[in-house]
Formats: sequence, C-alpha cells, structure tokens
Amino acid sequence: MLVIDALLQGILIGLLFALVALGLTIIFGVMDIVNFAHGEFLMLGMYAVYWTNYFLNIDPLLALPVSAALGVLLGLASYYWLIRYLLRGPAIAQLFGTFGLMLFLQYLAMFLFSADYRMIDKGVLVGKSYSIGPFIFDGTKLAAGFLSLISFAVVYYFLYKTKTGKALQATAINKEAATYMGIKTDKMNALAWAIGGGTVGIAGGLLVNFYYAYPMVGILFVMIAFACVALGGFGSIKGVFFAGLLVGIIMMIFPVFGQIIGSDFLGPHFKFTIVYLAYFIIVVVRPQGLFGWKN
Amino acid sequence: MRSLKFMLFICVLFLSLTIISPPVYAQKEIKIGVLYPLSGALATIGRDLQRAAELTADIINNKTPGVDIPMAQWGGIPNLGGAKIKLIFADHRGEPDRGADLAKRLILDDKVVGLMGAYNSAVTKTVSAVAERYGIPMINDSSTSPDLTERGFKWFWRTTPHDNYFNRDLFELLKGLTEGKVKGVKAIPKAQLQNLAYACENTEWGSGVAKSIEAYAKEYGFTIKKGILYNANSPDLTSEAKALLSVNPDAMLFASYLSDSLLMIRTLKGMKAQTKFLWGQNAGFEMADFAKQLGGDINGVLTRTVFIDKITKVKKVAGQVNALYKKKYGDDLTGATARSVVGVQTWAYVLNKAGSTDPKAIQKACNEINIPAHELVMPWEGVKFDAKGQNILGRGLIGQYQKKPDGSISLEIVYPFELATANFIYPFPGWK
Amino acid sequence: MEKLKDALDFSDFSKTERVCFYIFTVFLLVFPWLGVGSFVKTVMIQFMLFSLFGMGWNTIGGYGGQVELGKAQYVGIGAYTVALMMVWWKVPFWISMPIGVLIALGYSFIIGYPLFRLKGHYFAIATICTSLVLKDIFDNWNLVGAAKGIELPIHEHPDFLYMQFKSDTYYYYFIMGLFYIAIFYMNWFRKSKLGYQLRMIKDDEDAAESLGIDIRWCKIKAYSIASAFVAVGGGFMAVYNLYIDPASVMELSLSIKIALMAMLGGAASLWGPIIGAAFLVPLDRFLGSWLGGHKGLTGIDFMIYAMLIMIVSAYQPKGIWGIIEQFRKRGR
Repeated sequence: MLVIDALLQGILIGLLFALVALGLTIIFGVMDIVNFAHGEFLMLGMYAVYWTNYFLNIDPLLALPVSAALGVLLGLASYYWLIRYLLRGPAIAQLFGTFGLMLFLQYLAMFLFSADYRMIDKGVLVGKSYSIGPFIFDGTKLAAGFLSLISFAVVYYFLYKTKTGKALQATAINKEAATYMGIKTDKMNALAWAIGGGTVGIAGGLLVNFYYAYPMVGILFVMIAFACVALGGFGSIKGVFFAGLLVGIIMMIFPVFGQIIGSDFLGPHFKFTIVYLAYFIIVVVRPQGLFGWKN
Repeated sequence: MRSLKFMLFICVLFLSLTIISPPVYAQKEIKIGVLYPLSGALATIGRDLQRAAELTADIINNKTPGVDIPMAQWGGIPNLGGAKIKLIFADHRGEPDRGADLAKRLILDDKVVGLMGAYNSAVTKTVSAVAERYGIPMINDSSTSPDLTERGFKWFWRTTPHDNYFNRDLFELLKGLTEGKVKGVKAIPKAQLQNLAYACENTEWGSGVAKSIEAYAKEYGFTIKKGILYNANSPDLTSEAKALLSVNPDAMLFASYLSDSLLMIRTLKGMKAQTKFLWGQNAGFEMADFAKQLGGDINGVLTRTVFIDKITKVKKVAGQVNALYKKKYGDDLTGATARSVVGVQTWAYVLNKAGSTDPKAIQKACNEINIPAHELVMPWEGVKFDAKGQNILGRGLIGQYQKKPDGSISLEIVYPFELATANFIYPFPGWK
Repeated sequence: MEKLKDALDFSDFSKTERVCFYIFTVFLLVFPWLGVGSFVKTVMIQFMLFSLFGMGWNTIGGYGGQVELGKAQYVGIGAYTVALMMVWWKVPFWISMPIGVLIALGYSFIIGYPLFRLKGHYFAIATICTSLVLKDIFDNWNLVGAAKGIELPIHEHPDFLYMQFKSDTYYYYFIMGLFYIAIFYMNWFRKSKLGYQLRMIKDDEDAAESLGIDIRWCKIKAYSIASAFVAVGGGFMAVYNLYIDPASVMELSLSIKIALMAMLGGAASLWGPIIGAAFLVPLDRFLGSWLGGHKGLTGIDFMIYAMLIMIVSAYQPKGIWGIIEQFRKRGR
C-alpha cells in the first residue's frame, strides 16, 4: 500500500523532473554543452507565471504560454549572445560560461524581485486535493504530471515525426554529415536552445503551482536534472524520460523502505544521496548511461 | 613585451589596491559592527534586521518623542558626552568564513567598539571566536543555538532566549493543555496528546532543536513517535510528510526556515493531514511572509516567537516602537526584528553604564547590566546576563494564527497563559 | 636532488615572467608590513588558499583536461581530520594535517578507480555526485558533529603546535609557505613524466594509449595529487576559522569556485590558477564588503562577478593567462 502510494507520487514528480531535464538533454545532444543556467530558466519561468497570475489574475495553468514564450526567448537570447561565442572554447570554458550566466540570472532576479519567497494562492487547482481510491493526490501535482506528459509527447512528436525535428536529430547524431545534407548547424543550435528554453519554461510554470519561487530555486532542481540527463544518457530523449521517472520513484520509495524496515538511518534525509549514489553506480557499470548512444 | 608586463602588473595592482585604507570617521561616534546576511538566500530577513537595528540607533541618537524609554530622550549616549552610535553593517551571506573575515575587518580596520549579529548560528560561532581572540565584546541578538553560551567565552553575551527555553515553553503549553490552563480549552486527557512527531531541517540549528525536543519529551513524559531530519531547501517534502503522518501523531513539531515551512504546510494540506496540534519553531513560521503567502491555510498553526504585534496591546513601549517601524517600513515588528531592536538597545545601555569604550569596562558593564522589563519592547522580565553570558530574564511566546470572521489572519498570544489574547483553537482545525 | 633542481628551475620562462615572479615574491614577503588593514590580510590569505586549491585542481583539471567538479569533498576530509583529531585526542596540527592528506589520498584512489571509467560530462556529473554523497553522510553522522559541525577550542596563548595565533600575520606566512611549496611542486610536476603523459592524454587519448600509456592509472595519480593539495588547504581552513561544518567545507559551490578560479586564470599553466585567484578572490570579497552593506544593491556585486566570468569564458577560453599570451604575441 505504502509502496504503491510512493510509486504513484514518484511517477508524478518524476514526470516533472523529466520535463525539466528534457531541455538539458536536447541542448546537450545537439551541441555537447551542459547548460548550468538551465535551473535559472526554470526559475524565470516560475516568476513569469507568478507575476501573470498576480497582476492579471489569470489562472496559473492558463498562464503557461507566457512562461513557455519567455523560456524560448531566453534560450534564443543566451544562444545568440553567449553560447555562440563559447562554442569556440574547450568544454570547461563552456561549462563556466553557462555557470556565469546562471549566477547572473540568479542575482538579476534577486535584484528585480528581491529574495522573497513567492507562492501562488489563486487558481482553480491551487490547494485542492483529490482522493482516488485510498490515495490522495494534490490537484496541482496531478495537473503538472499530466501536462508534463503532454509536453513531452509534443516534443517527441516534433523531433521524430516532423522534417525540422528530424534535421535536429541528424545534427545531434552527426554534425558534419548533417552539414553536407544542407542542414544549417547554426539554425539547428538555435532551435535546440529554443526548445530547451521553452520546455523548461513550461516546467517552471507547472512547478510554481505547488512550489515557491525565489531567485535560488534553480539549483535545487538542476542538480536532479543533471543526474537525470546523465543517467538516461546525454542527449537521449527516451533516456531522460525514464531516468526522470526512475529518480522520482527512487526518491519517494527509498524513505518508505526505511519505514518498513523500521530503520531511522534510512530516513528521508538520504533520499538525494541515494539518487546520486544510484547514478554513480549505474554509470560506472554502464558508462554511457541507460540509453546513451554518445560517449 | 610591454603589454605583458602591463597585464602582470595589473594583477599585482589589483591585490595592492587594497592598501588604500578605509576613510577615517568623524569624532564622537561609537562604532558597532553589525553582521547580518544581507544578500543570498536569507537576504529578506537580513534586510529586516538591518532596518530594525537602524531604527533603534535613530531612536537613541535623536530625541524621539512619544517613546517611553529613557533612551529615546538621550540624543546620544549621555555618559559618553552624547556620542552617537554608528552601526557599520557587514554582509556575511550566511558563510561562516566570510563572517570571520568581516569580523576581523570590523575589529581591526573599522576599529569598532563591539560586535552584534550574526543571525545564523553557524556564522555567530566563527564571528564570536574572532571577537574572543581579540577581546572585543559581542552581543548576540538573534542566534538561538544553545551551544553558543556553553563555550565559556568571556566576550560573548546573548540577549535572546535560546532554543531550550523555547522548547520548554512548547512542553509547558502541552502540559498546560492537559491541565486545563489554556485559555478557552478544557483539560484534555494526556493520552490524547501523548504521541509527538517532529521534522527539523538538517542544519546546525535544526538538529539542535531536534535533540532538545527529544530531551524535553522525556522529561515531560511525552512519546516521540517519529523524528525526522530533512535536507533544508528540499525540492519536495512529500515523503517527509508521509513519514510523519504514518505514525498518526497527536502533535506535529517543526523547525524550518521560510522556504521549507511554506512547502511543508502546502504538502500537508495536499494530503489532508489530520493532527491536533501543529507547532513551528520560529524562523519560517513567524515571518510576515509565512502568513502573507499561505493566507487562510494556517488557521490554528502555532509558532514560537519572542514578539507578536498583539503584545502592543499589553506593552505600551512595544506599541510605540512598532508604530515607528510600521510608519517607516510598512510592516509590523516580528520576533526576529524585535530582537534586533533589543540588541541595539542593550548595546546603548551597556555603553552608557560603562561610560567608556574600553573593552574591559564594557565587559564589566555587560556582566552587571540589568535593563528593567518596562523599558523593553519584548515581554521579557528584563536583560541580565548569567556567568555564561546568557540573558536569564528572557522568555518566549507561543502564538497561534487565527482566522478572524472577516477572513484576515492574526497571530494571537496563547502562551504564557497570563498574556493570552485569544481563546486557543483546539484541536487543530486542519484543511478542508 | 635532481627533482629539487627541476622544481626550482624556472629558466624555461621568459625573463619578464621571472622578473615578475621575483617581484611578486618580494611583494608577498613584505606585504604584512606595508601597514595594510587586517581585512586585506584576510583577503590575501584567502587568495593564497584558493591558489593552492586551484594549483591542485590544475593537475587533473588543467594538465589532465578532466572536468573535475568535486574537490570540496577533499577540503572536507582535510578539515575534518584536523578538527576531529584535535577535539578528540588533542593531536597537534603538524601530525593531523599529514594524516588528513593520507586519508584524502587513500580515499581518492578508492573513488578514482571507478570514477575514471567515465569520460567527459559523465565524469563531471559523477564527481559532483560523489562529493554530494560524502557531504550528505557528514551532514547526518552524529559522531562527527553532523550538521552542527565542529568547533575547535581556542587556546589562550599562541600555540605553534596547534597553529593557534592571535594575529593573522602568522597564518599569512604559513599559507605563504604552503603556497610556495605548491608552486615549486607544480613547476616540477609540469616537467615530470606524469605531466607530459597527462598532456598527451588531454590532446588525444587514443594516441596516448597506442604509445603504451596507462591512461586510467595516470588520471588516478593526477587526481590523487590534486586531492592531497586540496586536503592540505582544508586542514588549514580548520585551524584558521576554528569552526567547520559540512555546509561550509563540503558544499558544491566550493568545488565550483576552485575549478572556476583555475579555469578563469588559465588552466594547464603554472600561473593560471594564481592569476585566477588573484582576480576573483579580491573581486568577490571587496565587492561583497563594499556593496553588501548598502540597501537596494543586493545582487549587483554578483552580477558584475558573473559578467566577468561570462566575458572571459566567451572572449578567451584559455582564461586570463590566455589573454596575456595573446598580448604577448602581438607585442612581438
């Protein structure tokens, strides 16, 4: 009973983790960059929905397009103004370039919005919960899980079924070959950043329904997203989906096991430790991640 | 070649830039170094503390009509020739090593007479160690880790009661409930409140609270069914909340900063959690933002604190200072900011008593100071330090958020029993 | 003997560089006597401490080219060993610090063995993960003080054995000694066999392997050297701050700061980490100290700091040292 409950809760939160990590993995797949500032895109997405809700009284779920649009713009802006220049350097310079962006956005947000914690209190689902059989679900989390799944499906459809999406995939698999086929790498890179920013913007909009927004919120989620992306295999869309679910489930189930065994040692305070440890072990056994095809 | 030299020299220059010494301040000022977290995750509270400290310094330095403390008519420190208090703020960002470095700056470069701060207990540890080494008095206004006054320091005093006081208050309240001492509630059989569960954040402060709760539970004969330490700023608290609820606790106790307390209440609400008694150990639970963000969801939630604006009904001085603060910044004083007021006030009294800025004289004055209760904004019996430097006349309050008929939320005093301003809501109404 | 000579031999640097180095040495030696403020002295101590960390990181991250983001765990090991041995058994600093280094070395071999099965970004994330796991363990381990951390007792009188002094000047010269040992060691390291092997691995792993270099073993060795350096700094932090907790000595942000300074100064060069620290430490401390206390400016200092990081990473990925070399080429 407890286990099933934890499993369901894990899947709900895992879907959101997967959506957060999706953008990271797309960007990585296309251009081999790990974007440290990803969590800050999430944070700004959260603020976008919060302020729309606050000033315009629009339901947070209907305000999602605002955060998605902001995410796309952010992605494009960082690509054209920063990432293009970083691409010339080695991996570590790229890493720290995005790290600089992360710091910048964090403190910009702090400067603009102050360090106050902000929570949404108006909305159709906010604060509601539903009992389904013996289980109780938070309305906003259900919505977040469901909408994450839909966003994921849309992106998946786009990448695998449309021409542009296929071109993006081709660039990810082999840049040079793609260039010979007449695919413009620069355009594809920008597209990857737009999708990456857009998806994480949506994730932020969903998250703010049940989580507080504040300038440093990104780092909490981006660490999990890193683990998801690496676990699933850098650049793998399928991988990140299952890795997100796996991380969500591990996080929820682990404390339940501690409870069943009756050990205080295996309490919730180790739930992230176990996620990181799981990543470490899986990746050492299988160095390209669960579904990775790049090394 | 020349440009290379130039670049290298820039680096050296950058380091030696630092030789420029800070400007010399005007005479007749007594400098007190104040360390607060003014940026970073705790910036909100740090700014509030800074405002309260500045307001108090203003009251001391300029004759302020309408505040019934002798201090407000001083216009400077009388025994020091009317010298003004100047607060020099430093931002430690919650990092202990930065705090230590800034304390050295304040002591050796700015030549402050004494230190105040630093809110985070971990930072207070390193800052007070520096103060102790250099023999500079430090009055701590807002760190509540009991360890701080157990170290045998000679230059460290603390005005605020520490967590052991507050946790004892909690158990006194629980005991009071079983004995029918609480306003508006009949005695409750102890069996109905026997089982407790707590969740504390896993930091120096939270883990200390957890230990002390365990100890008092034993002393007062309650059972801790479940105790959890969780990672602060957690992305999700579902499993923590579930673990607490799994033992069907009669009372739930928390120690968390604002972020986690917001999330915890929302998470519990989402689970339609049921319990009879829900108490939070200050920090997050007493901040203005807690009520602002959660609104009606916190009807019946208890928080320990040292100051509630209702106190202004009972204490005139508190009302007057609160009015000034509200006029200037738009918020009521809270437990944290009111403690900052008392911190600066204690400094003023100590300096006045010492009549000198010599550390030894201040040390002596600190050990002998006795501020009467009616001059404090706090509902304390005064300020008087024991041999360890702890103020023994301080005491805590427990407040309960209550929803008024007009829908507004107000924080009412429920403990100490004689100060109670409203009927206790029991059991905790829960979320519908 | 041969090694010592190599370590002290700076003849392959240009004359200007050597002159600058000598001037810099003299500058550091007389610095505490220039009548500077004490805050400046603490900044200088931080600068040398982070140079030490950065030079350590440079072995694996710079010369080895591995994106290593988990150095904080070794800071923690060094700091905790010194603190615990002092609190439990009153072991003097001079004994506990080397023991801390040995523990860090041992631990780095154990962790390094599986870690170096990984490459590129997988490796980077894995180093972060191992560091966070260790931090979580220390956060919950009551025996070592858990999240409460450990306070070291203050000695009333200056005590050389326990490295307890009132004035920062002593700490200054102590860290300066370590700083120079590190420079000499790195000077030898970059010319050593391992140094050349690492650079070869960085350029082309397959080619290095075909030359019969045991890649994994080389990386593990460099990783351990880096860890030892960092553990020394950690031990120093314990006696210098007199209080440590997992949040201040094992945090991810510390790992990133270490790598960032070395990278920004110029990875894989002897002076890079020093320049990086000379740039970022004062920037961080002074901006924070000047702007932090002012109202309405929250975050401005960090925004400036972040802009600089972005500009340097985008403009010259080889860091500040790369910019210097660029100028130098133009000068010729």
